[in-house]
Amino acid sequence: MAAISVDTLRKTFGRGAGVVTALDDVSFDVGDGEFFCLLGPSGAGKTTTLKSIAGLVEPDKGAVRIGGQDVADVEPTHRNLAMCFESYALYPQHNVFDNMASPLRSPRLRMPAADVRSRVGRIADMLGIGHLLDRSVTQLSNGQRQRVALGRVLVRPAHAYLLDEPLAHLDAKLRATMRAELKAISTDGLTTTVYVTHDYVEALSLADRIGVLREGRILQVGTPREMWASPANAFVAQAFGKPRINMLAGGLRTSRDHASTSESASSGLGRSAPRDGTHAFVAGGVEIPLRDIDAPPGESVQLAVRPRDLRLHVGAGDPPPGKVRLDGVVYVLEHLGRQTEVTVQIGESLVSVVAPRAAVPTLALDDKVGVLIDPSTTHVFLSGEEGKRVSP
Amino acid sequence: MTTPTSTRPTAKKRLTGAVANTALLAYFAFSLIPVAFIIALSLKTNSEQTTTYLSFTPTFENYSTVLGLDGGGSSYLRFFGASLITSIGAVLVSLLIGIPAAYAAARHRFKGSENLMFTLLSFRFAPELIVIIPLSVIYQQLGLYDTFFGMIWVLQLVTMPLVVWILRSFFRDLPVELEQAALLDGYTRRQAFLKLVLPLVRPGIAAVCLLAFIFAWNNFIFPFTLTSSNAQTVTVSSLAFLGGNQVRFNLVAAGAVMAALPPLVLALLIQRYLVRGLSFGAVKD
Repeated sequence: MAAISVDTLRKTFGRGAGVVTALDDVSFDVGDGEFFCLLGPSGAGKTTTLKSIAGLVEPDKGAVRIGGQDVADVEPTHRNLAMCFESYALYPQHNVFDNMASPLRSPRLRMPAADVRSRVGRIADMLGIGHLLDRSVTQLSNGQRQRVALGRVLVRPAHAYLLDEPLAHLDAKLRATMRAELKAISTDGLTTTVYVTHDYVEALSLADRIGVLREGRILQVGTPREMWASPANAFVAQAFGKPRINMLAGGLRTSRDHASTSESASSGLGRSAPRDGTHAFVAGGVEIPLRDIDAPPGESVQLAVRPRDLRLHVGAGDPPPGKVRLDGVVYVLEHLGRQTEVTVQIGESLVSVVAPRAAVPTLALDDKVGVLIDPSTTHVFLSGEEGKRVSP
Repeated sequence: MTTPTSTRPTAKKRLTGAVANTALLAYFAFSLIPVAFIIALSLKTNSEQTTTYLSFTPTFENYSTVLGLDGGGSSYLRFFGASLITSIGAVLVSLLIGIPAAYAAARHRFKGSENLMFTLLSFRFAPELIVIIPLSVIYQQLGLYDTFFGMIWVLQLVTMPLVVWILRSFFRDLPVELEQAALLDGYTRRQAFLKLVLPLVRPGIAAVCLLAFIFAWNNFIFPFTLTSSNAQTVTVSSLAFLGGNQVRFNLVAAGAVMAALPPLVLALLIQRYLVRGLSFGAVKD
């Protein structure tokens, strides 16, 4: 095991007009034994980062340190890292056993044949491919190949494991099982792991810490709890959660305390008790009081609120104290088992709400409905795809 | 079984199939005519060689004359041996140098790499006659004239571009991540190449061996101008039957039939790899 440090990595591909910046000053540290997830959409530079750590891609600038040592001059062979490739990269001329045994038979790690057999057997059983050991890898399904590729990593000791979308090609059920399995292995003390994924659920469930990558830049690094509770910008907020976090565009202004009550009553939209906050979020006549916003009044911002933090308010009547009611009509209704996803059209924007099905038994399309926002569950970002967080 | 009508091809499709097959058969027969002609010619006597097509009494006399079995003395076997030595030697040298070259050309792009590859290819389409005069002068001066070493060397012009260009496309078809996986498994670049990559391009090596051997074996102009007796090959030696007071087409034919055997034998030996090699990359895994 060893700590990994990635320091201002930069990598461009191509030249001239077609130059593409794959990594743009990517920096993060992975502690010894830590499980670190790199989360990002495709093309964000996740694989390039991983390959730079492995030494398969030579960065234009920046350094990779493994256990404190700069490995710029260390060949991939001697970095003592294990990598699971998204394309599996299984050796087509070998069967499953020989593929998994390959690192254990290499000149670097050579082990006695009996050890090789027992290690490969144990990992294969754990991955549910114990019965396939004699098969040629060309006869396997993609899900089986992916598990062989993962097995080739897990059988060996290494400074760190680099896993590139190791669960991406499994079917949904197997993916959940394998995720749980990986979670179990990692809590037993897995070696340092850098795990690349585009699936936020994997990141939240497996990682000790997560780094969100976009267009070659690290946007935020933090624990799953931090990423969820206080995303650093609008992109990170939208990277986690399904349905996606709701974004309402609007402006900031100084809260007008009591004045707001009468005004909003006449407009019939924002009805809330005045707060001692200094700001309010305003959009289309709605006013939501906010505290401690780090931006001047007049700034255009986006208010983000997760679908599960919203409540539906059907029928007339005042909203419960401390909540703000937005009026809209039901645009889409999706009954998903015990829960119902309701998309409500409020003014120009669509807002998703996840409600227990029992709470909306009679709801139908185009019904008038109220959406209740608890201001304490909101996040405020400056406008723009990567608008900075300005709420506490 | 499903309804027979659903699987039976339509009348139109069957007709096109039949026409295509007939055309292919006709072409097959047509392309065999020269072979049949040469074999027939090699079985004819002197008097029959230019006077008949099919009505003749077959005789193996020409073969024994060419091989010197009739006591007349012949250098055919020596020339045959020279052909084998130079062709096999040329293919081996080309493989030894060409495999690493093709691998490097497939995996590494450096300044001028495409120009280098193109120059190599241009050896194949530039007529050999362009270089033959300076080459023969150089060979005379260096003492390479009429030596096996010289012949193997000059045949590199023929075999090396083939080996490098064909194998490069085979190497390119291999995903680079396979080698990267081997590196991370703890193999050095050389071990990854020898243990992983080379076995995977075996079909390509087989195919390229055969092609290079045929081209080297059939080459006429280099041995014709750069050898006289010691390293003269079987292609050139046939000329001897045409000179003098009598033109012996039947002897040339007998020599040619025997000279066609080594490529044929080689093709049969590596047939197993050949089909995979020639269709490699055409079929998705």
